Amino acid sequence: MVKYFKTSHMACLEKTNGGILYLMPDIIIKVCTLIPLIFLWQVVMSTGLDVGMSMSQMISYTYVSTLLSDMMVVKTAASGWLSEGILMRLYGRPLSVLGQLVSLTIGGWVPMLTLFTLPMAILSPIFGVSLRPASHWFFISLFLCISLGFAIDILFACLSIKLRNMNWLISRIRAAIVALLSGTVIPISFLPFGFEKILKYQPFACLGGASLSIFVGIAEPANVLFLQTVWNIILWPAALLVFKKSQEGMVSYGG
Amino acid sequence: MEVKKAIKRTISLFAISAKLDLVWLLRDTKFALAAILADAISNISVVSSVYLIAFRFGGIGGMSVDEVLFMMAYSTIVTGIFILFGSGNNIHISRIIGRGQLEHSFMQPLTLRAQLLTSGFSPFTGSSNFIIGCALLLISIYKLHLRITIWWILLLVIYILSTMVIIIARSYLVSSAAFYAPVAAEEISSTAIDGTWQLSTFPLSGMPYFIQLPLLTILPEGLMAWFPSLCLLGKTPMNFSEYYPLIYALIIALAANYIFRRGLNYYVKKGSNRYTPRGFRR
Repeated sequence: MVKYFKTSHMACLEKTNGGILYLMPDIIIKVCTLIPLIFLWQVVMSTGLDVGMSMSQMISYTYVSTLLSDMMVVKTAASGWLSEGILMRLYGRPLSVLGQLVSLTIGGWVPMLTLFTLPMAILSPIFGVSLRPASHWFFISLFLCISLGFAIDILFACLSIKLRNMNWLISRIRAAIVALLSGTVIPISFLPFGFEKILKYQPFACLGGASLSIFVGIAEPANVLFLQTVWNIILWPAALLVFKKSQEGMVSYGG
Repeated sequence: MEVKKAIKRTISLFAISAKLDLVWLLRDTKFALAAILADAISNISVVSSVYLIAFRFGGIGGMSVDEVLFMMAYSTIVTGIFILFGSGNNIHISRIIGRGQLEHSFMQPLTLRAQLLTSGFSPFTGSSNFIIGCALLLISIYKLHLRITIWWILLLVIYILSTMVIIIARSYLVSSAAFYAPVAAEEISSTAIDGTWQLSTFPLSGMPYFIQLPLLTILPEGLMAWFPSLCLLGKTPMNFSEYYPLIYALIIALAANYIFRRGLNYYVKKGSNRYTPRGFRR
């Protein structure tokens, strides 16, 4: 366990090796996107249309989604590990490859959690945002969301092996999923044409959007947790099996 | 005569890039088609998320659903042109600078400008978003019953060009940092372009002035689709001049030109430190 903790620590240091200054552009962009997004939802929700969510709930939803964006839809180094040569590093160490991926990812979250999430959480009252979860089941749901995120990410990594390192293609598909199917940008319940009834059962809806709906109290925790657990039970064995079969097909040319 | 020769040469360079793109499509058709499809799906999902909100709420901040569709069409066309002409990292220029690849361009018997202008042209695999954008534009024009004149089409082209100038100039402006800090600033153009992409699809109508103003000046995301779309619809926002995007494009292009040239001068004297003598990247 200590080895994995050290791996996380290394990943955290790697992000800040060049100095905190180099993280600033990303932080500024995040802040500059979050604030207009809050006002966008204020403008939209001021129409008074009943969508099963109040304005304050929607703003909390958006705020928490942005603050915890790394956890809402997990993205590990596996996305570009073949072209960037990370793969060679992972296989060269006496540790589980998937275990290292998890450690590296969690360690990589720390700088943003410290430099963006924490200050913005402290500043949340200025924006009139409540960061108190409607249910403490949110934390269990967040854990299941992260766990499912890792499983889905491993499946995407296997897809990139299958598609001969087409990282660009994979990243574009992921972006599409984040934008529409995960519910982190728009709550699934907001989708028109009856999409919300179908889409809420797919695995991507059990990522960030599911946890956020518990956070703001628009979903029954039991139903959400049940779905998240079911998808974890289905996708983790599938991810491990596919990963085991894909390993021999890995080709790395980067570094 | 010299101008005519230069134009002819530029066209032939575009043709070479197009040929290379076609070769990829023919040689690796399955993956090339998958990449085209993924590109189209990704962009459609980004713009459709805003459109779906507008549809569900009957518009956004005074903009009707069809006006939002028009704005999304504009945004998709801009994305399309970006991909069409920028597939070779020639707009994400910090990657080329940061990786020390500018050296490769110096060895070519062509000006750097000509190479950067033509090297990213991919009409066969990179045109899907542009085509989708044009289709969305036609649908929105039909739904909005817009009266199309030659002047309006010319204005559309001018606005799209000015948006492209702003995107490219901003990318080159921030990418100049990569001349001085190649490792740290290698991906700075991605932050400037891709990081703000979502923000550029937000309709700013109805938002307070203190949000709109910085998004038209400091961080010009309002000029990527919202402002020019409203100008084209005859509803220029915030009492600004309809020529504002053009003026902004000119100023940022001049600033980028000056800063980039200074960085380039520094680079040709100092070189790149990204590679060890044995060829490994630092």
